[in-house]
Amino acid sequence: MIWILLVAHLVGVVAVLSLPNPRPAFAVALTAPLASAVWAASRLGAGEIDTARLDWVEGLDLAVSFRVGPLGALLAVLVSGIGVLIFVYGQGYFGGGDRRGFAATLLAFSGSMLGLVWADDVWTLFLFWEATSVTSFLLVGTKSTDSTAVTAARRALLVTVAGGLVLLAGLLVLVDVAGTATLSEMGPVTGDQATVAAVLILVGAFTKSAQLPFHVWLPGAMAAPTPVSAYLHSATMVKAGIVLIGVMHPVLGAVDIWSGLGVTVGLLTMFWGAIGALRHADAKLVLAWGTVSQLGLMTAMMSLGSGKAIFAAVSLVVAHAVFKAALFMAVGEIDIRTGSRDLRSLSGLRTSMPVAFWVMVFAGLSMAGVPPLLGFPAKEAAIEASLKESGASGDLILAGVTIGSVLTVAYTTRLVLALFSDKGGESTEVAPFRWAAAAPSVLLSALGIVGYVLAPSVTDWVVPAAATLETASAGYALLRWPGLDSTAFWISMGIVAGGAIIGAAAARHSSPPEPVGANNVDRLVDRTLDLAKWTTGRVQHGSLPIYLVVMALVASLAVIPFLGSIDTDQLHAWDRPLQAGMGTTVVAAAIAVAVIRSRIGAALALGVVGLGVSALFLIQGAPDLALTQLLVETVIVVGFVIGLGGLTTQFPANGFVWRSVRIGTAVLAGAAVTAALLASAEDIPSNREALTAAAVDEGGGNNLVNVILTDLRALDTLGEVVVLVVAAMGVLALSRADTARGGGAPLSDDVRKVRR
Amino acid sequence: MIRGRSPVVRSAIRAASPLALLVAAFLFFAGHNQPGGGFAAGLVIGAVVALRTVAGIGRPQDAARWFAVGTALVSAVALAPLLGGEPLLDQVIVSETLPLLGKVKSGSALVFDAGVTAIVVGLFVAVFDGLDADELGRDEVQV
Repeated sequence: MIWILLVAHLVGVVAVLSLPNPRPAFAVALTAPLASAVWAASRLGAGEIDTARLDWVEGLDLAVSFRVGPLGALLAVLVSGIGVLIFVYGQGYFGGGDRRGFAATLLAFSGSMLGLVWADDVWTLFLFWEATSVTSFLLVGTKSTDSTAVTAARRALLVTVAGGLVLLAGLLVLVDVAGTATLSEMGPVTGDQATVAAVLILVGAFTKSAQLPFHVWLPGAMAAPTPVSAYLHSATMVKAGIVLIGVMHPVLGAVDIWSGLGVTVGLLTMFWGAIGALRHADAKLVLAWGTVSQLGLMTAMMSLGSGKAIFAAVSLVVAHAVFKAALFMAVGEIDIRTGSRDLRSLSGLRTSMPVAFWVMVFAGLSMAGVPPLLGFPAKEAAIEASLKESGASGDLILAGVTIGSVLTVAYTTRLVLALFSDKGGESTEVAPFRWAAAAPSVLLSALGIVGYVLAPSVTDWVVPAAATLETASAGYALLRWPGLDSTAFWISMGIVAGGAIIGAAAARHSSPPEPVGANNVDRLVDRTLDLAKWTTGRVQHGSLPIYLVVMALVASLAVIPFLGSIDTDQLHAWDRPLQAGMGTTVVAAAIAVAVIRSRIGAALALGVVGLGVSALFLIQGAPDLALTQLLVETVIVVGFVIGLGGLTTQFPANGFVWRSVRIGTAVLAGAAVTAALLASAEDIPSNREALTAAAVDEGGGNNLVNVILTDLRALDTLGEVVVLVVAAMGVLALSRADTARGGGAPLSDDVRKVRR
Repeated sequence: MIRGRSPVVRSAIRAASPLALLVAAFLFFAGHNQPGGGFAAGLVIGAVVALRTVAGIGRPQDAARWFAVGTALVSAVALAPLLGGEPLLDQVIVSETLPLLGKVKSGSALVFDAGVTAIVVGLFVAVFDGLDADELGRDEVQV
């Protein structure tokens, strides 16, 4: 079933792209997520584990492997379930037009995310991790004519892909220390290597989940159409980092630095994100910064690692996915119906857009953690988890969570009050109501209440999921009413009261800050590109002789490590006297090539070198090599004749320095090749008999060399042939480009100098 | 250049081409048991292409087609055994008694070799096409 569902996403992408009529694009696209959501929902809390595994390279422990347990099912319900609603919403948001490409990309992203949360092999996980980076890049840059969107997409890609590389390094170290690439088989690891892995993996998670200082890409990603924002910043993309921290908890949770680093960064992000959300005037940016803040809380809880904290983190993931998607959808609806998202100018929306208003109120209350909404028990769990921590660090965590939560309530209050207040003057004009755009958000905000009422059922789904990460999570439950004697409850109420006051006060003010950090990333990118241009200008000067000299020198240096393995005892001048004579001829001809001033004479002397080498092969008893060498020489000489056609008959005179450099390089390259051959001339035990027997038996031929080429080691030949084709196609493309421009590639000065 | 100046060379190359192709064919089939083989055959054909380029007489032009045929043959031989559950590149050997030739033994390696030949020829066609356009073509324009 896992394969069917994942392949269904792939098939869906192709199907959407090849639709003859763009109208049903979203409807076709949502079938695969719908099937996945239904299947995953049927497995919620069932306790069964499904696996799917395809071994790729057994010796290297490379496999594509999935495992769907309680956590996989819960996350899949979020990813695919909200995905379905996003497709419905997208239909309403865009109204009409050809959106096949967009729908297909969104579906590809959805499938990637599903693969990520189901992965049971670190390489599978990494593959889908990168797939979400790439597809989200395409989604953020949907408005490819808008330079803001393009910059934002580039920034998101660079930050998340750079994080992906760090994650890759971390996973390599982890696999080495854990001894397996299968997540479910990994035991807890500790030690220096584990610490390195832990830091690298955490950094990878931070980039994806927009933690300080990598949060810069997320607010910019708001340049994407709202369906993308609603999806990426609620149930998917940004949750990948949280999920990663979660699945790594059983393995790396015991490493000292793990929870310290994760909690510190998480709480700082929660604080900074909330500050950002309080200052912005664009409703969508407020939500984006709010997402950064919420992710900070989830990161802190997930990496804190106690049973209660993991439970709280998983509960928050669920609650956040539901209310944040609803909030984004409502803001998007306001955006498309009024043409604005500015808190300072929108007026009278409470009466003109009642549906959006109530959606925002209920989803906002859930975000603030107010009963009777699902956000409340989740936030309660987080506070209780902080209360359970002892000592100074426990107090700090509690303080951090409390302050962050107060600010969360504050920005939520401010958002709802400012967005729906009457600013005086005329009410904003509102376009007609669209069901498809409103219905999903209504459903999601209603789910906040339903989730609260059915908290025991939600507990049944969340607890087994959390327990797969940390067995100590098993005993907890989402409490609808913790009771008046609960400390957490009073803290919670204090948070709501304090936050509401601050939020109400802040509703009238907004001072949009400069996007701290984001500019730095852009500047860094520009500087890097400038540097690349500068370097390219210096290195790629276009002079063929200098390229050759550099290549020969570098290749010669590669021999140095092997100089030690030359066995001088084995060296002797020749096996047969004939070799001495032939060798002298070859050397003489080679010197002649360098000395002769006439081009055609040099080409012919080069031919003598080749034929001499061919003769040496023959003397050595290798007729196949000799034949091939002979033929190659023949063709090369003819090639020279053609190539020399456009050149002068004599080589141009060179200055002393340049001439010396060339001679030096040539001698060095020759010495290096000689040394390399000497170093590799070991006494390899010959298995000629076995090979000959194999050649006749399996290959059915008596020419050992050719049977090796076409049968015994045919895979090598296949590889070589493919390389040959690729190189030749390059030659072809270059020569075509040349003729296409009117028979003359831009010539470098050196080449021009050589000609006439 | 030689083109258009030496009818002797032209005629000689024209006359030698079929013979050279015969040599290529011989090398190709001899390869299984004696020196030769697909690569050598490709080189001989490549030499023919080169000489005809020098003399400015007709020669194969479409390198991409040679590559396509060669790659298709090579991949087909490589992948076909997988369909029968055999490992990649597994060889099938056929032994037949034919009229005139007597007992002939050969295998799928021959097809593989033919692919190699096609690719080598394609390489030469591509290179000489490029050289021709670059050097001879320009020469002609200037003269």
